[in-house]
Amino acid sequence: MAQEIVEAPLAGKIIRVHVKPGDKVSEGDLLCTIESLKMENSILAPISGAIKEVRIAPGQAIKAGEGMITIES
Amino acid sequence: MSEWQAYPGGVYKKKEALYRELQQERERILKMGDSQILEKRKKSGQLNARERLAYLFDGGDYTEIGMHIKHRTVHFGLDRVSIPAEGVITAFGRVNGRWVVAFSEDYSAMAGTFGEYHGFKEAYAIQFAMEKGLPVIGMNDSAGARLQEGIDTLEAYGRLFRVQTLASGVIPQIALLLGPCLGGQAYHPIMQDFLIQARDTGFLGIAGPAFVKTQIGEEISLEELCGWKAHAVKAGQTHLVAKDDRDAIDRAKELLALLPSNNRERPPRHQTADSAERVAPELDEIVPDEPFKPFDMKRVIRAIVDDGYFFETMEHHAKNVITGFARFGGRPVGIWANQPMWAGGVIDTHAADKGARFIRFCDLFHIPVVTLVDCGGYMIGSQQEWAGILRHGAKLLFAWANATVPLISVIIRKSYAGAHYGMLDKSIGADFVFAWPTARITIVGADTAASVIFAREIKEAQTPEEVKAKRIQEFSELYENPYRAAERGCVDEIIMPHDTRKYINRALDLLENKFVTPGTCPWKVWKKYANINL
Repeated sequence: MAQEIVEAPLAGKIIRVHVKPGDKVSEGDLLCTIESLKMENSILAPISGAIKEVRIAPGQAIKAGEGMITIES
Repeated sequence: MSEWQAYPGGVYKKKEALYRELQQERERILKMGDSQILEKRKKSGQLNARERLAYLFDGGDYTEIGMHIKHRTVHFGLDRVSIPAEGVITAFGRVNGRWVVAFSEDYSAMAGTFGEYHGFKEAYAIQFAMEKGLPVIGMNDSAGARLQEGIDTLEAYGRLFRVQTLASGVIPQIALLLGPCLGGQAYHPIMQDFLIQARDTGFLGIAGPAFVKTQIGEEISLEELCGWKAHAVKAGQTHLVAKDDRDAIDRAKELLALLPSNNRERPPRHQTADSAERVAPELDEIVPDEPFKPFDMKRVIRAIVDDGYFFETMEHHAKNVITGFARFGGRPVGIWANQPMWAGGVIDTHAADKGARFIRFCDLFHIPVVTLVDCGGYMIGSQQEWAGILRHGAKLLFAWANATVPLISVIIRKSYAGAHYGMLDKSIGADFVFAWPTARITIVGADTAASVIFAREIKEAQTPEEVKAKRIQEFSELYENPYRAAERGCVDEIIMPHDTRKYINRALDLLENKFVTPGTCPWKVWKKYANINL
């Protein structure tokens, strides 16, 4: 089983989380939204699979490279 | 000995014997090295060094140079070792009708190891290509330095690096990573213009896993340390990832078709049926009304270039920005754009490096650059500050200010702060700047500006939020548009999105004979070159 940890591409604030552990996602599905420099950044699933772990919550600040969501395929 | 004929006072061989000798010698070299390695490679679907050259050159036909070159080492029994073609085949031939020089490392011949004369062959191929004004393609597949040759190997690397550097900017240099390329073997591809890495077989690294483990105790697989993800995604060193050997060579050919053979030529112009004045109505709908919502810049690129063709480079690295080649009116053009879909299209250290080297490559080879702008600025915060965003960001400014090729900027949405120059504007060197009506060209966003300019007023107001909102709107109305920039001549024309292709093509036609003497500056002061932030 392959695991992929989705990392934040840039620093900012989590404004929405669209998935919870156990959810099935397809590649390209919206996982969460990060607000940074007044822009909304949609974070999409890099692979299809099941959400194993969600380490973020709305309102939380995040750094670039920080792991946010784990997908298991 | 029976071949020798005696005559009074000497011996000689008959011509047929001499011809037979040449035939045998050729057959021995063409058979290449270790048959087991050749067989193993074949089974795994890889091409061998000669098959790669045959696949590269038109009709599989190439002329080899230096076939008989041989090392002169006697230590460690090497005097008894024969290495066909010295582990690297150098050749010239035609690629889609145009002359190209190539060298192909042969893993079957003493694992393609790099020694004095192996290095000589590669350096000579590059020098030859430079002098004749031909692109060079290196096919890399070698176990590394030939340690038995000691200082001779060490010096040979230096001579190769020097000639590559001297050829840089004279001829395009493309490296294909088709096998292991570790240590010194990684350095000569990295100094070339474009790296194409075979997904499952190409490995690049300053040191392989075994060396890393003994020297610093880190345990990591070859794949993770040196595979395509390490370089195409993380490090930003591989420009294109290929499925296999054939795909890597095909990509190199496609790239060559976009480039001139040397810095004295212009890139080849193609015939296209795509009208230069074609309108693209779909672009009028592409920018969302809400300024915080992203859109896909690749859709904009495909809509404006000839036939929707876009050859993207470094697709997987710093995805917040886009680099690649396309054609306008049949002419190759470099595209430098933000991608609002990834990290808001912001310029961070990786993005700045990706862009600056691309722009400088285009400038060296007479390829005009078109930029598509939607950028809120350079990335801020401790991570980027400490990573040196200032000096990385400065590379873009150096690249633009030094560039002599036609430069056209299309401002689609935000052009704020440092991004205004980093993405190309008039003050840093653009020939033309066009803006869509959705453009917001100003020093910072309205909320940031209002909260600084009116800080005191907002703080002391009875209804701070109301005052702040009013001031934001005021600033936005005044500055978050293309008109203030157009009033100062910083934007040449505000255009409807659907007319973008037409304006770019007209500008490129007009700039066809733009000529700036490189290395000169308007103040006529002599210099070697600018001290770009590295």
